[in-house]
Amino acid sequence: MKKIALIIAIMAGKFASCLSRILGTGGTSIPGKIALRLYPHILSDLAANISEEIFIVTGTNGKTTTTNMLAEILKEKGYKFVHNSAGANMITGITTAFIKETDWTGKRKIDYALLETDEANVPLLLQQLHPRVVLITNFFSDQLDRYGELNNTINLIKDAVRDTDIELVLNADDPLVTHFKNETGLHCWYYGFEATNYDKLQGEASREGRYCVFCGQELLYQRFHYAQLGKFCCSECGNQNPESNFTAHSLILTPKIEMKINDIEIRSPYQGFYNAYNILAAVSLAKLVGIEDEIIQKAIANYEPRAGRMEQFEIDKRKVTLILVKNPTGLNQALATINTEPTPKAIFFALNDNVADGRDISWIWDADIEQITALDSNIEAIVCSGLRSGDIALRFKYADAQVDRIYIEDELQSGINKALSVAADATYILSTYTALFVCRDILLKLQQESITSADLIDQKQKSSESQG
Amino acid sequence: MADFIIAHLYPELMNLYGDRGNIICLQKRLEWYGHDCYIEAIPRGSKIQFNQYDLIFMGGGADREQKLVVNELIHQSSELKLEIEQGLPALFICGAYQLLGKYYESSDGMQIPGLNVFDFYTRKEKNRLIGNIVIAASLRGQPFTVAGFENHSGRTYFENEELRALGKVISGFGNNGQDGQEGLWYKNLIATYMHGPLLPKNPILADFLIETMMNRKGLIFKGGLDDHIENYSHEQTKKRILG
Repeated sequence: MKKIALIIAIMAGKFASCLSRILGTGGTSIPGKIALRLYPHILSDLAANISEEIFIVTGTNGKTTTTNMLAEILKEKGYKFVHNSAGANMITGITTAFIKETDWTGKRKIDYALLETDEANVPLLLQQLHPRVVLITNFFSDQLDRYGELNNTINLIKDAVRDTDIELVLNADDPLVTHFKNETGLHCWYYGFEATNYDKLQGEASREGRYCVFCGQELLYQRFHYAQLGKFCCSECGNQNPESNFTAHSLILTPKIEMKINDIEIRSPYQGFYNAYNILAAVSLAKLVGIEDEIIQKAIANYEPRAGRMEQFEIDKRKVTLILVKNPTGLNQALATINTEPTPKAIFFALNDNVADGRDISWIWDADIEQITALDSNIEAIVCSGLRSGDIALRFKYADAQVDRIYIEDELQSGINKALSVAADATYILSTYTALFVCRDILLKLQQESITSADLIDQKQKSSESQG
Repeated sequence: MADFIIAHLYPELMNLYGDRGNIICLQKRLEWYGHDCYIEAIPRGSKIQFNQYDLIFMGGGADREQKLVVNELIHQSSELKLEIEQGLPALFICGAYQLLGKYYESSDGMQIPGLNVFDFYTRKEKNRLIGNIVIAASLRGQPFTVAGFENHSGRTYFENEELRALGKVISGFGNNGQDGQEGLWYKNLIATYMHGPLLPKNPILADFLIETMMNRKGLIFKGGLDDHIENYSHEQTKKRILG
């Protein structure tokens, strides 16, 4: 009976996936939702088919990029694996990913499962399946309105892993992450950065994790990489960075990331310090799986930025960059990258407040927007768009952006058109999650049109030359 | 010396959810009105001379931080009360609002004493009151709306009938989700559950605080800033909530 229920649930899930593909809707969570409704044990049944190991990647920022990079490495190695790739990181999305990889009987053997998991969904997922490793990237304030304060989220995860034989892979530079060892007693692996040329001696005013989690004393920092990530210690109780098993050094961020992880040389087409952390996390996991250095190097070097992770477009000879933003730390990092662009630029910002974006948009006030509105920053236009265009326009205004260069265009298409109409060599399209794919489709279409029209001009010139 | 000085109380403890947007807003608007304004961050362990400041601000914080702040300020609560009574402009958001009351009762029934500046108390409940909120307020007989975002597990109840709320809830939860009141408005003090932050898209409130700051210095407030982005944002938020 149980087997029949499983098969029916798989069939329904696969059918729903097909249907949503035909209808052209994303369909990353609905198939899983239907299948779970029909057969609540589907996830644990399908997880039993993983012959090697299950990895969970959680934390506030970098989950998607880290898992995608690790997937690229596993692919390069030739493994078969389950991977919820589209950022669908709740139980339903993870179930959809398992249904996609299994066969009709639900018995196909698969080597690995690589699960990007929303922080609040970790406890629920651990009831269903048993991973070897949980990797925690970092903790920042993100979409607080969904779960209350940051501490609650951290405690939820801590309680869920306690008294298991899970191994933790932890960011050694984040004081909000490192204490997982003391409080869970689990075996931990650490990854972290040595001093870099991009470090700062002063911390940001509104950073998290200012106080020691054990004794409440303000932590002392030797240096900050960014936000609360850095070399810290507590003068009261001695809490400090643990020694890293995977240590990154010799970091170069521009024009593209280069670094060494232990003694492996890494080159990546990505930019930004936060992506250097994502690479470090992915490489650490790959080393724990026992994958060879050459395979890791090749996979990371060939892995191009994906949807909204500094994704590049060329539209009418302009460089257009799409960046997903969702919390102050990510936005600060995006702005820092924009600031390294010396040419005149236009910025477009789509701010939505749907559930997947986080309904509370006040995080934009915690970001250091002021870093980009300094007079010499060459910003020709700031186009504010999305459901909360007014709020982001106000944020720019109060960061002293020139008011006559702030434009409000609620509608995404007309907003992007406006941003591309000003005289600037580089255009940055920043977007929260629920506007991201709409923006991306608009950019892809504009890119296609600009290629076609360039071809036409080319052809005309050729034909006039041949006539002449 | 700066024309105006704002005391930002314990920013290292009480800085949830973009609260610093309120400070940025006051400082910028004062600047645009032609006055410079200095923000003085008040750290733990300071003795505060309230009468040296033109406005005091405190943002929200989690339970642990709130307890620390009460321990800091409890020795100065009578001075604080006196200054508020004498018209010191003040803005207290969320957790800071709660600790102006008599006590805060956690979900297990433990009472954490407050600063006892006003006759109200707050009881924590399990489910949080979260979402966009619009309220109806009035200033010198002129009605206006205030739009923002709330996120709190505490329910605040007035025990003194003379306490006046900041406004009446049009959509959202407010002080306790029951009596339709939001916040507290006493003389030149505004306390509210609306973070978000409150002032940038509610320029009437921002200017109320600025006007009182100026009047207390014998300056005349003329107003007249171009608020079209502020008003656009206000209306957009309202429309988002009310449909």
